[in-house]
Order: sequence, then C-alpha cells, then structure tokens
Amino acid sequence: MKQHLGRQSGVQNVEVSLIDGKVEITPKEDGQIDPAELLKATYDSGVTAAEMDITARGKISKEANGELALQLATNRSYVLADTELAKRLEPLAGTATSVTVRGQLYKKPPGAKRSKPPSSFKLVVLEVQKKE
Amino acid sequence: MKNKLAIFLVLLGSIVVLPLAKAQVKHIEMRVEGMT
Repeated sequence: MKQHLGRQSGVQNVEVSLIDGKVEITPKEDGQIDPAELLKATYDSGVTAAEMDITARGKISKEANGELALQLATNRSYVLADTELAKRLEPLAGTATSVTVRGQLYKKPPGAKRSKPPSSFKLVVLEVQKKE
Repeated sequence: MKNKLAIFLVLLGSIVVLPLAKAQVKHIEMRVEGMT
C-alpha cells in the first residue's frame, strides 16, 4: 500500500504504522495532491480506509446553494459540513483571508465492511489552526 | 512592445506564484483497516 500511495501524483512521503493502521501522507510542496485519488488508491490496494483527516489552507467561499466551502487555489474546493466551527468561518466568506483548517474528509459509514469511497466529500472542520 | 513586456511579466509572475499556491493540502492522515 505504501508503494501504491507513493506513486500517486503530488505525494512526497508515506509513513505507515502497522500497529495502529495509521497512514501519514506528506504532499509535495509544489505538487497537486488529490485526497479522493488517495482514497481510491487505498481501496485499490486492498485495504479499507476507515477515515481520512486533512490539513489544508484555502479561502472560504459561499456556494450558490448557500453552503460554505474551503476553496483551494488549485481550483478544488471542499464543501464544509454544517457544524458550529464551520459557521464561525462564515464571516470570512468572499474575503482575502486564508485559513488553515484540520478536518475530517471521509469516515467509513458505520457497519460498512468494505465500500468504494464516494466521489464527493464534505469536510467536517475539527480545528481552525490559522487565519491570515 | 509594452504589450510584450506586460505578457512576459504576467507569465513570469505565474511561474513564480503558482508553485507556492499549489501547496494547499498540507498534510493527510488516514486510518486504514485490513492491513497485514
């Protein structure tokens, strides 16, 4: 699995802990990384992703349907799940302020044994680390 | 001439700025099951 993930675009380093099943991925500084592709690659390598957390920096935007999103400069955005922490970011929507957030992008549905990862995600903000 | 210079500056700016802007996902952590 380490080799499989390491071959994905934008991946600089992969650390796997067999003891607790933790996989840490360091993105390349100048590369593009797609967490959805990593989930797919994990599935393809024969193991099941139970959850995925990401730390990302971007700007807050408001979608046409009123949902908040974390807009990354690479034309990729993640809709924020409607939580208290996400609501606190609402005043920053449409401003030039960049925020660094840690959030949960994927969690395996309870009871599911092995299922293909979804193609769209909602980011559950766990922590707002920086506003700049 | 001025147009050429402006285009050159825009291209130069994109080359310098874009790689910095791409580093948006800073860290990813997964928990997996079924590893042997």
